[in-house]
Amino acid sequence: MPRLRVVSRATFMDMVASLPASKLDRLYDSHWTCQAILRSLTPLAKQYVMRMLYIDAPIPNKSLQEWVLPDATVKHKVAIDKLEQLRILVDVSERKKEVTYRLNPKLQNQLRSVLKSGGGIPRDPMPSSIVARLPTATELENYAIQQWELVILQLVNSASGEGPTAPLNKFIQHIFQKAGLLTSRENETTSRITEAGFQFLLLERSSQLWQIIREYVSAAEERGLDNGELIGFLLELGFHIVGEPYNMNTLTGMQQKAVEELAILGLARVQQGMKDRWFIPTKLAASLSTNLSESSSWQPTEGFVVVETNFRVYGYTSSKLQTETLRLFVRLEYQLPNLVVGSLTKESINSAFASGINAEQIISFLQKHAHPHVAPKVPTVPETVSDQIRLWETDRNRLQLLPAYVYEDFPSMDIFQAVVAYARDIQGLLWEDASTRRVVVRGELHEDVRSFLHRQNTASSQRK
Amino acid sequence: MASTPTPADDVSLVIVVVDVNPYFWVEKANASTGTSDIDFEQFLQHVLAFMNAILLLNHMNYLAVIATGSDSCSFLYESLAGESVSDGEGKPPSKRMNKHHTPSAKIVRGLKDFVSKELAFKTERKDNGKRYSLLSGSLSMALCYVQRILRQDPPHPHPRILCFQGSPDASQQYIAVMNAIFSAQRLMVPIDSCMVGSQHSAFLQQAAHITGGIYMKPPHPEGLFEYLMMVFATDLHSRRFLQLPRPTGVDFRASCFCHKKTIDTGFVCSVCLSIFCKHHKECSTCGYSQVSHHRKEAMIHQIFKQILAKKWWKC
Repeated sequence: MPRLRVVSRATFMDMVASLPASKLDRLYDSHWTCQAILRSLTPLAKQYVMRMLYIDAPIPNKSLQEWVLPDATVKHKVAIDKLEQLRILVDVSERKKEVTYRLNPKLQNQLRSVLKSGGGIPRDPMPSSIVARLPTATELENYAIQQWELVILQLVNSASGEGPTAPLNKFIQHIFQKAGLLTSRENETTSRITEAGFQFLLLERSSQLWQIIREYVSAAEERGLDNGELIGFLLELGFHIVGEPYNMNTLTGMQQKAVEELAILGLARVQQGMKDRWFIPTKLAASLSTNLSESSSWQPTEGFVVVETNFRVYGYTSSKLQTETLRLFVRLEYQLPNLVVGSLTKESINSAFASGINAEQIISFLQKHAHPHVAPKVPTVPETVSDQIRLWETDRNRLQLLPAYVYEDFPSMDIFQAVVAYARDIQGLLWEDASTRRVVVRGELHEDVRSFLHRQNTASSQRK
Repeated sequence: MASTPTPADDVSLVIVVVDVNPYFWVEKANASTGTSDIDFEQFLQHVLAFMNAILLLNHMNYLAVIATGSDSCSFLYESLAGESVSDGEGKPPSKRMNKHHTPSAKIVRGLKDFVSKELAFKTERKDNGKRYSLLSGSLSMALCYVQRILRQDPPHPHPRILCFQGSPDASQQYIAVMNAIFSAQRLMVPIDSCMVGSQHSAFLQQAAHITGGIYMKPPHPEGLFEYLMMVFATDLHSRRFLQLPRPTGVDFRASCFCHKKTIDTGFVCSVCLSIFCKHHKECSTCGYSQVSHHRKEAMIHQIFKQILAKKWWKC
């Protein structure tokens, strides 16, 4: 069973941490990135940073160790490692044997100024006199979701095999291929979706967003954009107010290009006035700076699925993307203007398994997208349904094939016992039967057992 | 008796109760012993920076500030987690973000309004030399706010209350404060206390012990901000892993309900458990009277005996 490639929001921070030291330090020049990176840390790491904010002298590692209770040393170690990776904690040991740390001075100054002045926004929105035809909040949200769904639908359409309804955007296709969600074959005009792609479809929207952003940033390096600057801009984008227009002239050329490409994903909307162009960040952009940390399970996702104990599934949605996602593992029976009805059958679940999705993902998808009416119920997905899905999965795992060798016709019990003990030692023993004196050993260890038997035979013949 | 819950993340609702009793602060300024103490302005700076730090730590942190005066208390500031877009259409929220509308500016303005209202309140009544602050009122307001937040849609932040207290304990507020403490215990809201005055407060020590909060009196008040960062900015999730100041000893003595004096031994009503220093015939809280209770019992007993003896029912 192929394993899911772990793609969570944490990997974006890993990518940030893997930037070279100079680029990382340049990131800390802007206090927006400092804030966003601080918020992406685990709670314990955040506390450490706040404590050391106004301490200039280096602190020895032992003092840091004394801050935690004795049974929390693992968490402590994880936090310190992460802080070192991101170059928030800088090692200033010099020649002393003891490791001493202090906060990155640039980060320290930026955060101190934030504490004095409070939050704010990176740039001022444009005055309403110049801006016309501003979309309302609902319009903006619909636009964002529509754009996002168009992007993901390209993935789904290649799954169901039908021709794309809209021409595939080359740029998006390139990103999907880089992420391993679409196969990249030069001799084919259309790409097929891969197993990782199927698993991607079942993730929740924020994880999908982060994975795409991550690929976008790594692809930017190839196109000549400085990925450090791009990361800084992305983190800053999260602090803008949703729905307010911001002048494009305040952005650098690289940032303008980035905004236009992000508009395809639904993160911003670009509008043209008489003389100026402006962009309006959407809710998806605001979620960029807020979804960074792994422990944030706070996004109130708009759930739409109700699962009954008789395996019927009701999806209160009219969005094509959500319908297609359900179709991956549910047999859809009726489709009404705002409701899709289907049931979980053995065939539908097995076809999902065949595409590479595993049971845990299906169950977590149903839980995360539970309709608000059933969300407070514990458990959201009835145990009968979740257990049955897991059982269907293990059904596929009943047989395990291993190449092996059978040994029989042992001359004496002693040799048999010796071979069994030896096989157990080299962890190749698969089955043994003392009454018929048969042993089954793994195929690749056949030579070892053979040489062992040889040695036994020569030893016993020498003894005779 | 620590009953702190164990949350899985660090989204917090911090309600800061600030003691702005002018009698206390003026006395403190007059009795100041040089640089190892802080006056109100410096204290406010430390507290404002602390509040900015709370809002920085997590984008979904809520913050509310209540000012405790000597006669009244009121909310100075509430933050909205996750700013909503302009209210209605047209009105740009950009004004919200310039320097007159940052949290600190709002708090300072609210404080000025509060103090002027307090002064007006005072000039209406004769000044009778009170020196206490209305802690019970603020705690009750804070707990009502917590309830309101908890009644919104899930998910909820994890609430806690932080009291900055300098004025001495008001013994006439004993019952109200203890009620507030037990309500906080029920709601699982820890009450932390940072003492900025010169004496300890038995009320807040008990509060910290019962609700599982932290009680602390900084030995060097001029470094107040660092104490706040080290101890009080910790969220409930991280508190399980960090070394925090432990209480040395808590004064658990109760106060009697009639005179509000702290007593070691006293009389307790068997129905409602209220404490009195002298034996009373009738409990002032629940109205239970032992004498009338016995008399009623005796009467019922007698009627029963008559029934059995005289057979009042007709057979």
